Amino acid sequence: MTTIAANRPSELRRAQARAGYLFILPSFVLYLTFVLAPVIVTFLLSFTYYDAIDGASFVGLDNFVRFLTDERSLQIFWNTLRFTFFAVTFNVGVGLALAMALNRAMPAFLLYFFRLAFFLPVIIAAAFVSIVWGYFYGDDLGVINYYLIRLGFAPVRWLTSSSTAMMSIIIMDVWKNTGFFMIIFIAALQGVPKNIMDAAVMDGANWWRRFSRIILPFISPVIFFNIVYASIGAMQVYESIVILTQGGPGDSTRSMSILIVEEAFGSFEIGYAASVSVVLTLVILVITSLQLVASRRWVSY
Amino acid sequence: MFSRGMQTRATARWVDWGIIAVMAVIGIFMLMPFLWLFSMSFRPVADAYKMPPSFIPPTLDFTNYRAVLASDVPFLRIYWNSVQIAVLVTVGQLVTCTLAAFAFARLSFPGRDSLFFVMLIGLMFPAQVTIIPIYLGYAQTGLLNQPLGLALMYLTSSFGVFLVRQFMRSQPKALEEAALMDGAGYFKIFWRISLPQLRPALSALGIITFTQTWNYYFQARVLLEPQDSMTLPVAMDMLRGFMGQGNLSMVMAAMSMAVLPVILIFLVAQKLVIEGVTMSGIKH
Repeated sequence: MTTIAANRPSELRRAQARAGYLFILPSFVLYLTFVLAPVIVTFLLSFTYYDAIDGASFVGLDNFVRFLTDERSLQIFWNTLRFTFFAVTFNVGVGLALAMALNRAMPAFLLYFFRLAFFLPVIIAAAFVSIVWGYFYGDDLGVINYYLIRLGFAPVRWLTSSSTAMMSIIIMDVWKNTGFFMIIFIAALQGVPKNIMDAAVMDGANWWRRFSRIILPFISPVIFFNIVYASIGAMQVYESIVILTQGGPGDSTRSMSILIVEEAFGSFEIGYAASVSVVLTLVILVITSLQLVASRRWVSY
Repeated sequence: MFSRGMQTRATARWVDWGIIAVMAVIGIFMLMPFLWLFSMSFRPVADAYKMPPSFIPPTLDFTNYRAVLASDVPFLRIYWNSVQIAVLVTVGQLVTCTLAAFAFARLSFPGRDSLFFVMLIGLMFPAQVTIIPIYLGYAQTGLLNQPLGLALMYLTSSFGVFLVRQFMRSQPKALEEAALMDGAGYFKIFWRISLPQLRPALSALGIITFTQTWNYYFQARVLLEPQDSMTLPVAMDMLRGFMGQGNLSMVMAAMSMAVLPVILIFLVAQKLVIEGVTMSGIKH
C-alpha cells in the first residue's frame, strides 16, 4: 500500500516521518508505560522474591514450582479451567441455539425487544448484575428458592454448598454473556448463501442435514472464533465470583485472578502473584495461538 | 404439488411464530433481574424482603433514592468519580487512538509497521499481568487511590488504534493526497479531511470505551481503596455490606442510578452499541 507522497523527494519524506512519529507519540508512550513495561516487569518479578524494603531477589523458578506443586493453587488452577470449559461450552452453545431461533423475519419492534433482552446483560457491569444474582441465589430469602418452594420443589443451596456454587456462577455467566455470541452467530448465519439453503430444501434435505452439512461448515470459523474469545474472557473471571461467593465455600470457586489479587495485595507475595499471572497469560497466549493455527488447518468452508 | 408447497409454507409460518413466541418468553426471563432491581428500588424499606418479590414497581416513590443520597456513603462523590474517569478515558482514547491511527494508515516512516505490530501485541495481555507493576509504580508516585490514576492508564488502547486504522484504510485517500500537493500541513489534513470521515468508527469506539470504563472492576478494586476514591462497581459491593442487611431497597436504588447511563445509551443507540461491542470482540 502506498501512502501520501511515498515517492516524493527525501525532504518531504523526512517531514512525513517527523509527523508520523509525532502522531503516534502520545499513544505509544502511554502504551509502553501502562502495558508493555508492566508486562516485562511482571515477567521479571515472577522469578524473584519481592520485599518492600529489600526489593527483589532472584529465586529462579521457585515461584512457578510452588504454584505447580501447591495443592491449593492447583485446585484454583483447576477451578479456573473447569469454569472456562463449562462457561465457554454453554455460552457458545446457547448463543448458537438462540441465533438459530432468532434468525428469521420478524417485525422491527420484536427485533428491538430481542436485542434489548439478550444484549442488555452483556453491557451491564458484571459487578452490578452479580449483586442482583446474589439476592436471587439466596438460601432463605432468595428469589429463586421462593419460587422453587412455591412450585413444590426443594430449595437449592445455590452459593453455600461447594458442590453447586460453581454451577450457579456458570449459570449467571451464561445469562450475562451468551447474547454477545448470539449476535456474532446471527451475523454469520445471515452470510449463509440463501440459494444453497433453498436448493437443499428442494432436494428434501431435513433440518438436521441442512444444519450439519451446510450451516455448520459455513459458520465453523465463527464458532472457532467465539470459542477462543470466550475462553480468553472466562480464564480471567473475577468479579462475578468475588461478589457471589468470595471464592468459597472453602476454595471451591476461587479463580486465578482472585488468587493473584489476594497474594499480591493481601499477603504482599508479589513475586508469587506475578508468577501466577504469568501462568495465566501463557494459557491465554496458547489459546490465542491455537486460534491462529487451527483457523488455517481445521476450519473448512 | 402446488397445494403441498402452499401447505409447507403455511406450516413454516406457524413454526416461525411458535419459535418467536418461545423466544419472547425467554427474553422476558432474561430481563427479570433488571425488572426486579428497578422494582425493588421503589419498595418501602419495611417491605424490602417481603415475598413474593416484585417485578413491576409497586409505587413510584423516590424515597429510597433520596435516602441513598442522604446516607453516610459519599454516593455522589463516587458517582462523580465514575463519570470523571469514563469521560476522561473516552475523550483520551478518541484523541490518542485517532492520532496514532492516522500515522499508521496514512503516513510512511521508518519502522512504522514494526511499531504497529508492537502495539497490536498489547491485545493479548490481560489486566492481571500488568496490575502488579502499575500498583507498585502508583504507590511510589502518589497515583494510588486517585481516580485520575485509573483514568491515566487507559488513555490509549491498542484496540482503539487498530479499529480506527482499519476503518481509515477502508476509506479513499485521494483527498488527503490532493491536500498534501496543495501544501497543507499534516495536522491540517488530519483535522480537516481525515477526522470528518471517521465519524462512524469514532462513535463506535467512544461508546465501547465509555461503557467498558464505566464497568471496570478488577483494576478499580486494586487501585482505588478509600471510599472517597471508589468507582461505582466497587462501591456497590461495599454498599451491599453497609446498607444491605436491613435495606435491600436502598441498595437497589443506588444500583438503579449506577446502571442508568449505560441503559440509556443502549436504549437510544441500540444498534451502535451492539456493533461497537461486537467489533471489540473481533480483534484479529
